[in-house]
Amino acid sequence: MRKKIAISVICTFLLSLCLCGAAIAAEAEVLQGKTLEFNKEAKTLTIEEYDLNFDKEFKYGHPTGIQSTVDLTNAQVGIEPAPGDIVRIAYYPKGDVKDAIKVQNVTKQNLMKK
Amino acid sequence: MDWLYMHMPISGVEILWPGLVLIGFSVGVIGGFFGMGGAWMVTPGLNILGFPMAFAIGTDIAHIAGKSMVSTMRHSKFGNVDYVLGFVMVVGTMVGIEIGAQLVMALERIGLVGSAVRWVYVCVLALIAYMVFSDYAKAVKKKKMGDVDKEKGAEGIIWYKTLHKIAIPPMVNFKVSGFRCSAWLPIVVSLVCGILAGFLGIGGGLLRMPSLVYLIGCPTHIAVGTDLFEVMISGLYGAFTYTLKGRIEIIAVFVMLTGAAIGAQIGTVATKYSKGYGIRIAFGLAVLCCMVSIILKQLKYDAPAAVLILTAIGLICAYIMKIMFQGAAKELRDKKAGAAAS
Amino acid sequence: MRKRIASLFAIGAALNLLLPVLVWAGGPKAVDLVVVADTRVLSGVNKYFANLYNTNIFLFAIWAVVLTAVLGCVLGWIMDIIMMRTGLDLKSRKIVEH
Repeated sequence: MRKKIAISVICTFLLSLCLCGAAIAAEAEVLQGKTLEFNKEAKTLTIEEYDLNFDKEFKYGHPTGIQSTVDLTNAQVGIEPAPGDIVRIAYYPKGDVKDAIKVQNVTKQNLMKK
Repeated sequence: MDWLYMHMPISGVEILWPGLVLIGFSVGVIGGFFGMGGAWMVTPGLNILGFPMAFAIGTDIAHIAGKSMVSTMRHSKFGNVDYVLGFVMVVGTMVGIEIGAQLVMALERIGLVGSAVRWVYVCVLALIAYMVFSDYAKAVKKKKMGDVDKEKGAEGIIWYKTLHKIAIPPMVNFKVSGFRCSAWLPIVVSLVCGILAGFLGIGGGLLRMPSLVYLIGCPTHIAVGTDLFEVMISGLYGAFTYTLKGRIEIIAVFVMLTGAAIGAQIGTVATKYSKGYGIRIAFGLAVLCCMVSIILKQLKYDAPAAVLILTAIGLICAYIMKIMFQGAAKELRDKKAGAAAS
Repeated sequence: MRKRIASLFAIGAALNLLLPVLVWAGGPKAVDLVVVADTRVLSGVNKYFANLYNTNIFLFAIWAVVLTAVLGCVLGWIMDIIMMRTGLDLKSRKIVEH
């Protein structure tokens, strides 16, 4: 019994080391903000970034005035964002391009309300 | 009161962590004591605490996987698992879980997952409560009649004899259980149980245990072991597929699993000292409270729902712990007295 | 007994039939829900897992299953040792069937 557990623990440890190695390479960044334009043809999404100061009035952070455009070519987009919707985007920074992985429409898919 | 809330990294919701610990611990105590999973209160409980329904199901099924590892290992030591039957059933179980999970995702897409799963749960819990109370009524009646044990065995349900005659190949000989039948029989049974398990985020033993005994014809002790094996498989596969769909809150799984592991020991030990049927009534009431609180949640009375379910499972949990600690203290006292006397 | 078991199976079967009907009868627009974990507010292990969730869900799934299974075993093992230490007689435990 003990041996079995010891072996399984060691195996997992080794496995986890491999996994760590594989995963560190892919660090994604996250953006949150208000949708300004969702361009279906060009597959881009432009938002105004919000910061991390959450409070009662600004649940999703305060507007910063910074505009960002992400490339949606490789992205998985949930409910289509309309201008004004708050979205959360995970992306890979590739030089100047923000290559989006996933886009969550926070306004229309509020997990806290379900 | 911010420190009472824990941030869930994936879904981003703030969860009352003492509630999470209480649910994990209680599911361990109650599951250990009554010998049935107890997962039926986790999905609604998590949902009531604020988890989105799909996350509640995924998180529940994942913690079952962790919990069942240990009990399966224990049972297989006694040779109570029919592995041939187990592996044949794995096919149905996994397909069933996947179907159940896909149903949940489909319901989520159209925005109905919360209410659909809640209503199915209300039906299931009503059924459990009915079984518990009718069991109790029968026991009381038997006692009044002077404890004549003439039912059950004589009546005996022999559906499986008919089902064993269905000869769709491949026919398999299940040596440990001691019968031969078409492989499709256990596959279909496990498929149906799997769908329910995947949809509700439970182990499925509630339906699988009686099916194994009455439809497949397993001896009871083999059925218990094989069912546990199946619960482990369905937990592991369910955890995998729900994570792949992104509907799991891994931190919550760990918190609950830790509570459940401690609780399970207390619950199992308490069975040694418990007498009488009174506790069954308490159990039935807890099931009913859980059912009512789901309805409250459905009607958007969130706070009363949370209070009701947490109080109900907290009280029954405290009751079982009382049994365990009193019994254990007495045993240790007697042991000491015995040692002193000799 | 027989009647009860029969009703159990009947309800089980009915639920299974009911579920797909519910889905197809739903009708309204069907959209995949996408969840993005907000790694900006996290740190340490949480950040690692949340990032994995965003970038490589398959690896995340393997992690989740392996960790859950291992944690379950380790906890079970530790609890066994603790219960052994209490000096209670756990061998003669009778199994209460439900």
